[in-house]
Amino acid sequence: MTKTQVHTNLMKSLATSIGLCLALLYNTLDLTAQQQISFVPKLYNQPIIVGHKYFLEQQKDSVQIDKLQFYIANIYFYLDATEVHEVAQKHFLIDIENTSSLELNCNLEEGINYNKIKFDLGIDSTTNVSGAMGGDLDPTNGMYWTWQSGYINFKLEGSSPLCPARKNEFQFHIGGYQAPYNPLQTIELALTKGNLSIDVNIEQLLDQVDLTQTYKIMSPNAEAVATSQLFLQLFQQSK
Amino acid sequence: MSLKYSILVLISLGCMGFYTIELKLFDYPEYFPVPEYNFDENPLEEAKVELGRALFYDPILSKDNTISCASCHSPYNAFAHTDHDLSHGINDEIGTRNAPALFNLAWQKSFMWDGAINHLDVQALAPISHPAEMGESIANVVNKLQNSALYRKMFFEAYGDSLATGEYTLKALSQFQLTLVSSNSKYDKVKVGKDSFTVQEQAGYTLFIKNCNSCHTEPLFSNYSFANNGLSIDTTLNDYGKWGISKQSKDSLLFKIPSLRNLSYTYPYMHDGRFKKLNEVLKHYTTGISHSKTIAKELKRPIILSSNDKVDLIAFLLTLNDKDFVFDPKNKFPRDILMSSEGFKK
Ligand code: HEC
Ligand code: HEC
Repeated sequence: MTKTQVHTNLMKSLATSIGLCLALLYNTLDLTAQQQISFVPKLYNQPIIVGHKYFLEQQKDSVQIDKLQFYIANIYFYLDATEVHEVAQKHFLIDIENTSSLELNCNLEEGINYNKIKFDLGIDSTTNVSGAMGGDLDPTNGMYWTWQSGYINFKLEGSSPLCPARKNEFQFHIGGYQAPYNPLQTIELALTKGNLSIDVNIEQLLDQVDLTQTYKIMSPNAEAVATSQLFLQLFQQSK
Repeated sequence: MSLKYSILVLISLGCMGFYTIELKLFDYPEYFPVPEYNFDENPLEEAKVELGRALFYDPILSKDNTISCASCHSPYNAFAHTDHDLSHGINDEIGTRNAPALFNLAWQKSFMWDGAINHLDVQALAPISHPAEMGESIANVVNKLQNSALYRKMFFEAYGDSLATGEYTLKALSQFQLTLVSSNSKYDKVKVGKDSFTVQEQAGYTLFIKNCNSCHTEPLFSNYSFANNGLSIDTTLNDYGKWGISKQSKDSLLFKIPSLRNLSYTYPYMHDGRFKKLNEVLKHYTTGISHSKTIAKELKRPIILSSNDKVDLIAFLLTLNDKDFVFDPKNKFPRDILMSSEGFKK
């Protein structure tokens, strides 16, 4: 055996023992972590069922939701005014049809009653110019525009007799990152009683846009930015 | 030998290995600027470049498995397309723009004639999804790749995982395209003292520096920004370039400045392929400028070139042809892979 080989073996066993220690440490940490937040898409306080018809109270006609996907990013938890926890995973793709995506693993410590959460609805501009990415950001998720670079922050599709479009369909693809049409919104919510369930009240959007006029937003523009203002009212801690 | 010392030796040996591999896959002369592409995010490796090359030439990326990237970007045309002014895709659909040549992409800040794409990695999504180009979706492409024995093997070799993802597919395509470096033209040889210009070429070079270099900046022969070079609008296409993306009037009729390397291989010229010959291009710059609001300041006053000047200037432009690049076997159709029993031509 040459000296280099001895050293390599030595290093190998060293690495293995460090690895073991880390694994043990990680396991003990894991016992206290794993707390998650959940998002519940709703229309007038009822959890939304895809393909089911609901009555729009403001516009007095029915609506059906076929698709709801959005990005939640850069989540921070606060105790009083102090930021105390930053969620390690930066970007989560929420998809109403993928129930496991509605639960976000935030690795929160148990027993702490955080009283504020802050997060972005959408993808920041730095991420938008950083090329191809994987996981929740993989372009196969259908949340990346193809003819012009940029993520779709929020996608809502469905139909209502109010829409003059083909098959009465509406499509809201709100995204992009370039000024002056950056629709990224930062949301802050007060949390009480350690309740980490958040409603996504879609009527806050559908009651505010006139579906007879506005039913197709497919690129970054002034209309997309205006619509993104409504996202500020979308979220509410579940009752 | 102490442990410390041998670790040092190991590390430096490792670095040297890495260095030589990098040199072989991506190399450029010292008078080139620093690339724009962030190689730290996608370090080049042989198996990944090879995967990217297979993907580039494989029609599996299109809906009906008939069109590959190379259908519009042929290696013998410096990865442009010369049969048509506008590109042809699946079902013989005709696009609205001329397919640009592909080389020195690592130095480009944005892509497409209008700059619609901000990063090389995500560029391929555009042709894959375009109904008049490949008419496919990236999700379905990935699905097809996961079901192919050939690509399960190639993804495993490249990424240690046999299952393709969108990210890896796109990054591998970038890897291959990043290796397309054109830096071996006569101009380059003159630059490093291995050749010299003829009197005529030298005269053309002087005219070039005076009239063209502010936009088609050497040594890449583009500064890769956008300009209105005075082409009149084609009313059958109504293509306003960058304006279509930014919707700001200052961007009306601005198109990306293309490199002037390899012009003998990349005709027809301009975003809509309106000129077939360099003579026509020079006629445009001297007497054909259309003066709209956003015309570049350099072109407001007429460029004056005698017929001798034009001959000289063209002689210089021809020194930018890089035959070594165009016929480089490493860039060609990977016959051994795609014609194998597992490839598409089985
Ligand atoms: C049907 C023809 C066609 C096919 C197929 C095609 N392209 Fe292109 N390509 C074009 C055209 C046309 C443009 C310019 C588009 C524009 O400016 O809007 C272009 C632009 C590009 C650019 C930008 C170059 C620059 O200088 O900005 C790259 C990179 C590129 N294509 C790579 C690819 C890859 C990779 C594939 C396969 C996944 C592919 N193309 C498939 C026609 C095609
Ligand atoms: C103000 C900037 C500017 C100047 C100066 C300029 N060009 Fe251009 N050039 C462009 C732009 C922009 C395009 C692409 C226009 C388009 O397709 O819409 C272009 C396209 C070309 C092309 C077509 C290349 C291809 O692959 O399609 C050639 C050739 C060319 N220029 C040669 C010249 C020459 C020679 C000169 C000097 C006499 C010159 N240019 C001066 C901006 C400029």
